[in-house]
Formats: sequence, C-alpha cells, structure tokens
Amino acid sequence: MSDAPVAALKAVAQRFGRQVVLRGVDLELPAGSIVGLVGANGAGKTTLFSILAGLLQPDAGERHLFGAPADEVDVAARARLAYVAHAPQLYAGLSARENLALFADLRRAAGLATRPTDEVLTELGLPAAAFDRPVATHSRGMAQRVALARALAGRPDLLLLDEPFTALDARGREQLAQVLLGERARGAAILLSSHDFDALLEICDRVVLLERGALERSAAHAGDRAAFRRSAAAIWHAPAGTRQAASGVSSAPDL
Amino acid sequence: MRIVRQAVLLLRSELRQELRDFELLLSAGFFTLVLLAMFYLSFASLPVKHSLPAVPAMLWLTIAFVGVLTLTRAFDREREADTLRALLAAPIERLAIYLAKAALCLMVLMLCCLVLVPGLWLMFPAGSAFADQPGQTALLVLLGCGGYVAIGTLFAAGLATGAGKNTLLFIILYPLTTPILMYALATTRALLDHHPDLPSFLGQMAALDLILVALAALLFETVLVGAGPNLSRKPAREGRPVRR
Repeated sequence: MSDAPVAALKAVAQRFGRQVVLRGVDLELPAGSIVGLVGANGAGKTTLFSILAGLLQPDAGERHLFGAPADEVDVAARARLAYVAHAPQLYAGLSARENLALFADLRRAAGLATRPTDEVLTELGLPAAAFDRPVATHSRGMAQRVALARALAGRPDLLLLDEPFTALDARGREQLAQVLLGERARGAAILLSSHDFDALLEICDRVVLLERGALERSAAHAGDRAAFRRSAAAIWHAPAGTRQAASGVSSAPDL
Repeated sequence: MRIVRQAVLLLRSELRQELRDFELLLSAGFFTLVLLAMFYLSFASLPVKHSLPAVPAMLWLTIAFVGVLTLTRAFDREREADTLRALLAAPIERLAIYLAKAALCLMVLMLCCLVLVPGLWLMFPAGSAFADQPGQTALLVLLGCGGYVAIGTLFAAGLATGAGKNTLLFIILYPLTTPILMYALATTRALLDHHPDLPSFLGQMAALDLILVALAALLFETVLVGAGPNLSRKPAREGRPVRR
C-alpha cells in the first residue's frame, strides 16, 4: 500500500459570495483510518465533504485523491469514493432494493463491481420486509440505512459520511460502528462528522475540529482510548480561540 | 458506450417512477387539453385563410408553455430528496444524467403532441396538412421539441442544484429558445403551405438542434458542479494559517 494519503486537502479555501466558508484547510485521510470531523452548525463541514466528493470546486488550494492531484473528480475517482450526505438522497418513489439496484447497475455499466443489494442492506440492519417498500414509507432511520448501504455497496476506498448516525437507533449505531471498523480494517479511509461526540470517539483514530472554516487542532488516538477521549474532550469543550492551549491535546502532523 | 448505457438506465428509472405517479404526464397532458379547448373556443370560427398563420402559433405556443411546465417539474424528484447530488457523487458520466432527463422531457412533450397535433387538425381546417404529411409533421415536432428540450434541460438542471428558483427558468428559457421556436414556426408554416423547400427547413432545424445539444452537453457539467479552472494550486489568499 502506498504511503500517500487516500485523500488530502492543502490550503483549500471556499467562499460563497462574501461569506468565507473554508480558510486554508489542510487535511489528510490515510488508508485504514477513521477521522472524525467535529464542528458547530455552519462551521463548513458539509462544504468540506462536498469538495472531497467532487461536488464543489474549491476557490483555491489543492485537492489530492488516491495519491494524485484531482483538479476535477472524474469518474475513475468517483468509482473509488462514496459520499453519504446528511440527507439520505434517495428516490422516494423507488423501494430500497430499486434505489440500490439503480446505482449498482450504473456502476456495472461503468465496468465496476458491486456487492449484492440484499447482502449490504441486511448488514446495515434494514428489515427484509422493508426491502421492497417505497422509501417514502420508510422511517428516517431506515432511509439512512439504505443510503449507507448504497455507499458501502461499491466497497469504496474513501468513505465520506456526513452525520451518518443521524436517526439511527442504538442497535443501528452499533451495527454501523461495526461496519465502519470493518471498512477500516479493509483499508478504507473514512471521514465522518457527527454531533454525537461519544459515538465518534468510540471508532475514530483522530478527531479534527473545524471552526469558522478553519481546522483547529486535532486529537489522535495513540493506543490509549481513555487518553484519546480526554484529549478530544479538551478540544471540544475548550472555549473558542483557546483550543490551542488545551492540555493534553496532541497535534496531528498534517495540521 | 458507457454514457449511453448509463443514460438508458437512468431513463428507465425515470420512466418507472413516472409510470407510478404520472406526475409529469398528467400535468402536461391536462394543460395541453386546456389550451386546445381555449384555442377552439377562441378561434374555431376563423376562416381558413386567417387560421393558416394561427395554427403554427397555437402549436408552438402550446409546446413552449407545456415545455416549461415539464422542465420545471423534471427535476422535482431530485430537488425534493436532493438525489441529484447522489448521482453527481457516483461514478456516472454527467452527460448521461443530462441525456436521460432530456429524453424524459422529450417523451412527455411528444406524448402531448400526440394529442395536440391531431387536435389542431380536427379543430382547424388549415391543420389538415398535418394529416397529409404525417412523416414531415412528426419530424417537425420532434426537431422543434428536441431543440427546446436540449437547452431547457441544461438550465432546469442548473436551477435544481443551486439555490435558483424555478421562476427564473421562465425568464432564462424563453429568450434562449426563441431561435428554435422561430425556426419551428417558419417550418410549420412551410409545411401547412406545402412549400417545396420543406426538407431544407427541416434540415436547418436539425442542424440547429445538433448545435444546441452539443452546447448543452459541453456546459452541463460546469452548470452542475462549477468550472474546473477555479481550482488553483496556489494557497488561498483569503486563508489564514492553520494553527500548529
């Protein structure tokens, strides 16, 4: 496996009109790692995800995907990444199976492999009775499972998950955590955001804080989960502007 | 031919959803019938020599109105659930998304024309040329609707992804589609007059369609995601250093 990170942003900036959303963001996502992205509402997390997924062209800076500069995120790059937004983004009139089958067929048309639809839906804990029901009749948590299943079906090397625990019940969260740990073991790089700080700390190797469009310090897991929790909590709970001085915080090399 | 295969898959999915709720077909078809009825009530008593120039106007006015109604609703499913972003993030050729949507809109317009053209023929004696030349009529309607949809789908997609309002589509679309509608009007008049140069008119419309499709295909990705050249290798001037 190459030492180059699966995805990296260097000095990426983004503005919408007069509003500066991202300011010189540097971020690296190594293979086989889970990075948690935390930040208040409006901090710029979704914009960051959109840039990594190729849905947005940054105003400035560099985007690298799979070891190469990615001025544009082409089909070959999109074949290796999956993005789950904070909304499920499913066709409400289609069933769970049909939604997954559509994207699986589109992948196959591009010569790409995909996992069996039922297998991945079952892995995410969707009841079999819901497979053929229109997504419009699903609960929010069930729709979230379908969206996650769609992302995981292609065995992506880069998983971008914007608040994936949203609407999942305790069992669903546990199932998702196990699935993500399995993906990490497979070698995937995972970036996920969540407002559930505890859930992030359970599975992340590193958490980074995005505040007012800039990445603050990060806390990295160095073998001791309890120490990692303390470091991350110090970042999260410190008043804005003082996080640099938070005790016990370890700075990740890319920040 | 990955683009074609993916476009067919997307179109099949669109049709599956459309056949479940008939959202586009019902609204477009009903509007077509209402306009036909209004035209009949207003112009049925016109003598043939006066209805001759009116029939092309009625045909293309209806297509322009039904077309914009169809285009504003064509991305409703994507807008409601934000599925367009899921498609854009997937390994799908963006041109396939455009082709599938344009084909769907074209199918809806052609189905409306299946009601509209015979309706105009039955209601107005000047429209009898439609029945005399069914092949040319079908080609004329296909080319006119094709050009309209080619450019309309581009802007409908742009408004579906951004914060743009659908009302903007009316403002943008009508001026841009004026050339194709003008060509269609002139060609329809030539058809009704049994003009010997009708094949030449149709050929020019086909050429215009090709230009519009090529232009829309070139611009589609930029409209949806943004221009590539924005991405600079230089550090952000507005950016501040990240704390270490």
